Amino acid sequence: MAQIFDRSSNALARMSLVLTGILVIALGVTLNELQRSPWVTRQGQRADQPVPFSHKHHVQGLGLQCQYCHTSVEKSSYAGIPPTKTCMNCHAQIWTNAALLEPVRHSWATGESIRWIKVHDLPDFVYFNHSVHVNKGIGCASCHGRVDLMPLMYEQNTLQMEWCLNCHRNPGKNLRPTSEIYNMAWKAPTEDHPVWCSVTDAKTGVPTAESVSCVTKDPTDSGPAMASLDMPATPGAKDAAPGAMVMPASLSYTKFTSQKALGDFLIDQYHIRPPRQLASCETCHR
Amino acid sequence: MTPKTEAGTGAMETGKEQGLTLAEVRRNLQGVKGKKYWRSIDELAGTPEFEAAVLREFPDAAQEWVDPVSRRGFLKLMGASMAMAGLAGCTKQPDEPIYPYVKAPEDLILGKPMYFATAYPFASGSVPLLVKSDAFRPIKVDGNPDHPYNRGTSDPYTQGTLLDLYDPDRAQETTYRGDNREWTEFMMTWREKLIAAKANGGADIAILSTTVASPTLARQWKEAQALYPKAKFVQYDPVNRDTVRTVLGTKDVQYSLTGADVILSLDADFLSGSSFPGFHRLTREYSERRKLASGPEGATMNRLYTVESSTTTTGLKAEHRLALRPSEIPAFTAALAAALGVSAPVPSYGWTDAQTQYLKAVAADLKANAGKCVVIAGEQQDPSVLSLALRINEALGNYGKTVSFTDAINPMPTVQLAELKGLVNDLWSGKVDWLLMLNTNPVYDAPADLNFVDAMRRAKTTVHLGKHADETGSITDWQIPASHYLESWSDARSYDGVASVVQPLIDPLYKSHSAHEIVQAMLDESTKTPYDAVRETWQPLLAKSTDGKTADFEMNWRKALHAGWIDGSALPTAATATVAAINAPAPNSKDAIEVQFRPDPTIYDGRFANVGWLQELPKPVSSLSWDNAALMNEALMVRSGLAEQDIVEITVNGRAVKAPVLVLPGLPDNTITAYLGYGREAAGRVGSGTGYNAALIRTSETMAVAAGASLKKTDGIWGFAVTKSHYQDHRSKFFGGEGTGNNSLEADEALTRGIIREATLGEYKANPGFANEGETHPKVEREITLFPNWDYSTGNAWGMSIDLNSCTGCNACIVSCYAENNIAVVGKQEVRIGRNMQWLRIDAYFEGDLSAPKAHFQPMACQHCENAPCEQVCPVGATVHTPEGLNTMVYNRCVGTRYCSNNCPYKVRRFNFLLFSDYETESLKLMRNPDVTVRSRGVMEKCSYCVQRIQEAKITADKENRPIRDGEIVTACEQACPASAITFGNLNDKGSRVRKLHDNERSYAVLADQNTRPRTLYLAAVTNPNPALEPVVEEHAPTAG
Repeated sequence: MAQIFDRSSNALARMSLVLTGILVIALGVTLNELQRSPWVTRQGQRADQPVPFSHKHHVQGLGLQCQYCHTSVEKSSYAGIPPTKTCMNCHAQIWTNAALLEPVRHSWATGESIRWIKVHDLPDFVYFNHSVHVNKGIGCASCHGRVDLMPLMYEQNTLQMEWCLNCHRNPGKNLRPTSEIYNMAWKAPTEDHPVWCSVTDAKTGVPTAESVSCVTKDPTDSGPAMASLDMPATPGAKDAAPGAMVMPASLSYTKFTSQKALGDFLIDQYHIRPPRQLASCETCHR
Repeated sequence: MTPKTEAGTGAMETGKEQGLTLAEVRRNLQGVKGKKYWRSIDELAGTPEFEAAVLREFPDAAQEWVDPVSRRGFLKLMGASMAMAGLAGCTKQPDEPIYPYVKAPEDLILGKPMYFATAYPFASGSVPLLVKSDAFRPIKVDGNPDHPYNRGTSDPYTQGTLLDLYDPDRAQETTYRGDNREWTEFMMTWREKLIAAKANGGADIAILSTTVASPTLARQWKEAQALYPKAKFVQYDPVNRDTVRTVLGTKDVQYSLTGADVILSLDADFLSGSSFPGFHRLTREYSERRKLASGPEGATMNRLYTVESSTTTTGLKAEHRLALRPSEIPAFTAALAAALGVSAPVPSYGWTDAQTQYLKAVAADLKANAGKCVVIAGEQQDPSVLSLALRINEALGNYGKTVSFTDAINPMPTVQLAELKGLVNDLWSGKVDWLLMLNTNPVYDAPADLNFVDAMRRAKTTVHLGKHADETGSITDWQIPASHYLESWSDARSYDGVASVVQPLIDPLYKSHSAHEIVQAMLDESTKTPYDAVRETWQPLLAKSTDGKTADFEMNWRKALHAGWIDGSALPTAATATVAAINAPAPNSKDAIEVQFRPDPTIYDGRFANVGWLQELPKPVSSLSWDNAALMNEALMVRSGLAEQDIVEITVNGRAVKAPVLVLPGLPDNTITAYLGYGREAAGRVGSGTGYNAALIRTSETMAVAAGASLKKTDGIWGFAVTKSHYQDHRSKFFGGEGTGNNSLEADEALTRGIIREATLGEYKANPGFANEGETHPKVEREITLFPNWDYSTGNAWGMSIDLNSCTGCNACIVSCYAENNIAVVGKQEVRIGRNMQWLRIDAYFEGDLSAPKAHFQPMACQHCENAPCEQVCPVGATVHTPEGLNTMVYNRCVGTRYCSNNCPYKVRRFNFLLFSDYETESLKLMRNPDVTVRSRGVMEKCSYCVQRIQEAKITADKENRPIRDGEIVTACEQACPASAITFGNLNDKGSRVRKLHDNERSYAVLADQNTRPRTLYLAAVTNPNPALEPVVEEHAPTAG
């Protein structure tokens, strides 16, 4: 019986083996990439919102502070989506006839909620808490990006677990002074733009911000009077008569020229838990 | 009755077929020297069923698909999940909407729960509460920690009321003969009737209500009575306080156990649930005297004697328990009274030597502790018991010390049965035109001889206000949905006589109304809201100045709402009261079978029948869930030719009911305990069709006990869901097992490996370290392990301590855990095959003779082992160790191999074999704790030490830059426990309570020899027996066999 397959088919057979291998790997790579792709994570996608609300206009243009709308960010796990009332505080007066704002007026008139679409949507088995992040030196922009430059809101980061762990395993690289939490334009300290921080009477039982004070201007230039404005009262102040002028204790500012140094300093000052604890499962899952 | 011997012989044969005979059980027991623990009768008898069960990890058929789901449906589901399996990680989350408020409510911070003080009005006294509200949805009911009565503790019923609120089967619409109507239509009809009835003084109007707890409702009725002097208001509950009313009239008795060195309970089950008035305080005071906080030197403890006719946790916690038939207890009390110098006639009765000895010892002990002892009488007993008990207290000089009196805490104290009989007579004579039934269900629970259904039909118009369209509501003309106490304003008094405002936490979920509105309609201001009515009641008190300055009602009102009670509302107390002298009746003949009716420990009188948590909760002692049974001792069972699970027809008073048989160890002979509340027909999807209705043989003459019952075996087998022997160990002798394959893990090893450790006070004083000595298995040193030790040198290390001396096995912790951790209810069939999901169980270990056992209660949940066997076998890292020592579950990683459960020596892991969590029912979604994942199918779960509370406390403390304070984290079980048996905290904190308890010489680890190094340690029990009294071994065995 004649051979069915020519000798050349051996090459084909070998090639098909290689191809199968490549295909399997390619499939794995594809799935892996797909899984991280914006199609799944929605990174960078602008959802179709009922009102094309521009953070850029309200934050950069008008200078609204984040907490004007997101009121509970320092207190609760949720930052809070503003009630229609918050919109109407202004829009009862300005742009009262704008077609874009019709859903807001409709909500106000009928008492029905505006139906926003969640842009930053974590899986239901993740328990994220805003308050502990902003109280411990993670700025809004660290996760949400430059919201002040977003005409339409989108997700800057993937919000996937690997992204969370990136920081939970090394929180120092994103820490900033709590006074700069809502500063969208905050930049990590460099040689050119250093940060000066001082510690006063590190107490327990008071919010983190009360014992650490950081400035971005050289405090020695502006003199102690200027720097004292940033300072909480010294411990002796309690005993002084009310109204008495109390000079701040001698100030000792440390200069930071790198995020690493500032991060290490703030981890220490803010009592950030060690990575082993921050990256432990029960921190986010329960 | 057939002669005893014949019945006995027949019984032995029948019993043998079932594999359970008394003779075998006794033979098994005889071979054992010294202590022997057991968990169920099956185990002692070595039934084939039990032997088969021990071969499996989960009980029989636990791994099979037994749901009434077709094979086709199963394949469909499987197909879907196959398709999803590979892609689960790549699926896109659907868009989720956000619905912000239009106007945000003041004070609301989304994500931060709020707490409101209120009270649960219960027939035995209200329970002051602090309810957790998340976005204005009540999600957890707990005791009010500031209230002096319960100090933050609660009980199973109170915990269960949360699910009662969200019960999807609640009545939602006002109906008239089945058609939906508006509330206003009812009010118009009702007002028209009232106007018409004005002329005759309301003579043809009758209201039948549950026990009125609200002073406001009482005031409203009083005002209505002035307008309609002939209208009737009758209160009736199947479990009521008629005994107290008969003996004390309008007074209530209060006990204080703080100063009681000796406590005698005469059928008073004051340790197992709030069906006994004052449960929370009595349990706290009882356990406070058993903490032994000052160490062995000079340690003192109270001593509890229990004489009881059923087997309750109060009896099993007692140092000396005497089981007497229900009708023997009055005579025993009379004999005791005589021995203590109370002049009362003593019925002559042939007491056994042991009983006489017990009586003498108790009398001597009480006498020796005169003024420092208390005799507590049960309320489901003959009134003579309370009467005699109070006179004994008086004779012992306990009045004003451990016993005091107040005005009745229920504002309308009446003898309910007499009133109900009067009402039924009126109904029969056609005097009643309108009958309104408020929050009551007499069609189901009225005494059978009154034939209430037919009597009710004599009224022209019947109205039922009830949370459910129940047996009564489904046949009345009008059915009006009643508001839950968390939905409407009211008020009530707790056991200590202090009034609380019942403050609603949520707007009515349905179009429901309260009894206040119906009674208010009789007054001139007919539409006054309950809120205004309650304020009006307390206006005189709250507008009164307390400090001599101008009083501000609004401020005092707000203060009362905030605190949870009304200052200055306490009822006057007195050291003495007039006690009606009631003489003890003679006991029934010893051959007469007595049936006693008791409120159910989990569903009370049936009002919680549709609360899945409480249905599934295993009853203390019997571990029976989802059913009641004809509970009897094995002697009676065998003699009557019965076996467990047989269906027996109980005939008494000429009425019969078919009930399944279950052995309850320790019951006196010829006694059947029947729990009320089951056999409901219109309870809802959960409660209908469970158990049998004991009210069918309960007549107005035999409310507590019916004597002279006859038993007849009928066809059929019941099929109980008893959770006792679910967790088996199957090791051979070589690995430390008994090798017989005939023992549960717990019972066989409870003694040999010291799962339960106990000593008497004398032994403890002589040898304080008894709990950690004489172990048969060598203690393993910490360093000997294959796995590296965790480093806890910094940070927190969580731990728990459970005091076995305090735990009374009341189950409050389990129901609290249900609510806090979104635990699913699985249903009777699933419980039967061991799939119950409670993270916490209370193991009862029995010891000694079947008829007079001792028992030990041990709450058992995940032990959070340092060297956890489960962690080592999980292939996907779904159960891991945290840096603070928790053994944590990551649900989204779990793939359901169940290796962890297999490897867990404590058997505390629970697997979602099916989709047990209810994802569909809207009303239940409101109830969930938003901080805890609702687990899906195929996921393992277990006690997490309430990790969500730990995280919350950590975040709060971190934000404030401080360490977590001791006591800041309270686990759900700890919070509910009336005995403060559970303590949670940081072991790294040298000053913490849990650290001190772990360092206590009585602390021991369960299965320490496994080197699991659990973080939950137990404090060994210490008892304080009377040296004059040897353990009572009272054999109630048949003479034959």
